[in-house]
Amino acid sequence: MMQFKELDPLLHSQLRLAVMSLLMSVEEAEFSFLQEKTQATSGNLSIQITKLKDGGYISVVKKFRKNYPLTLCKITPLGKQRFTEYVKALKEYLNPEK
Amino acid sequence: MENEEKQMTGEESLKIITEMINKTKTNIRQSSFHLLFWGWLIFFCSLSEYLLFKFTDFASPWYVWYFTIPGVIVSLVYGFVKGRKETAWTYATMLYVWTWIGFMFAALVLFIIEWKSMESIAPLILTLAALPTLLSGCILKFRPLIIGAASFWILALVAHFGGPGIAPLAVPAAMLTGYLIPGYMLKRKNSHDAV
Repeated sequence: MMQFKELDPLLHSQLRLAVMSLLMSVEEAEFSFLQEKTQATSGNLSIQITKLKDGGYISVVKKFRKNYPLTLCKITPLGKQRFTEYVKALKEYLNPEK
Repeated sequence: MENEEKQMTGEESLKIITEMINKTKTNIRQSSFHLLFWGWLIFFCSLSEYLLFKFTDFASPWYVWYFTIPGVIVSLVYGFVKGRKETAWTYATMLYVWTWIGFMFAALVLFIIEWKSMESIAPLILTLAALPTLLSGCILKFRPLIIGAASFWILALVAHFGGPGIAPLAVPAAMLTGYLIPGYMLKRKNSHDAV
């Protein structure tokens, strides 16, 4: 099957793409929400969230609620732009004649 | 979910995107509580006012509407407590919540304006209440609420033109068709979906 070469490497990974797809649909999401929906391990999810944050695709706010740490993730305008471009490129790949 | 850096195919990427977006479908779990709470509260207030007016010499049957003040507090506290437990806020949920908060303020303004002519407020409140009910039905993709909103508009006309014998019953009837029946259907649907 044909492989991608020109797609955004930061998005073209299973877990990072899943996180970005979830964050596109919500105002903001807690770490536990992302973990529940992606079924990823905490460690793996933390690493991928850090990569997306370092790329400027998401913002991460850490705070406390009732003495428990709370991590809130939110997609940035750059993240929205990159995700839109990724989906556009994906459509072009899947329907090259259009 | 794994995060291997291996290349994905277009189909795999599309599958992930679709799967994740489907997982954020609007599920406003507390919506049936507010519909049932307000449905029953307004149902009893409006029916009590009618019965007090019809069968007693009580001078101010509209006093029963004071029960709505603690009702607002209960609703706000419940919404706040439940809202804090949400782990993500979808745009649809935000729209849903703000639509009802907006309605609450609009109703408050209407009560202040119509303070001295409360007998004419029922058709106005029903007309106004139909809008958030309609929007909620559209957001939740739940047809009984959309039909309920339409019933509000019809019963608002009944409340205005129905005459003293029928008009006072328009509000309790609207609560049945607009809040209580859709509320119980939504509650059953939510509990069924949660299984």
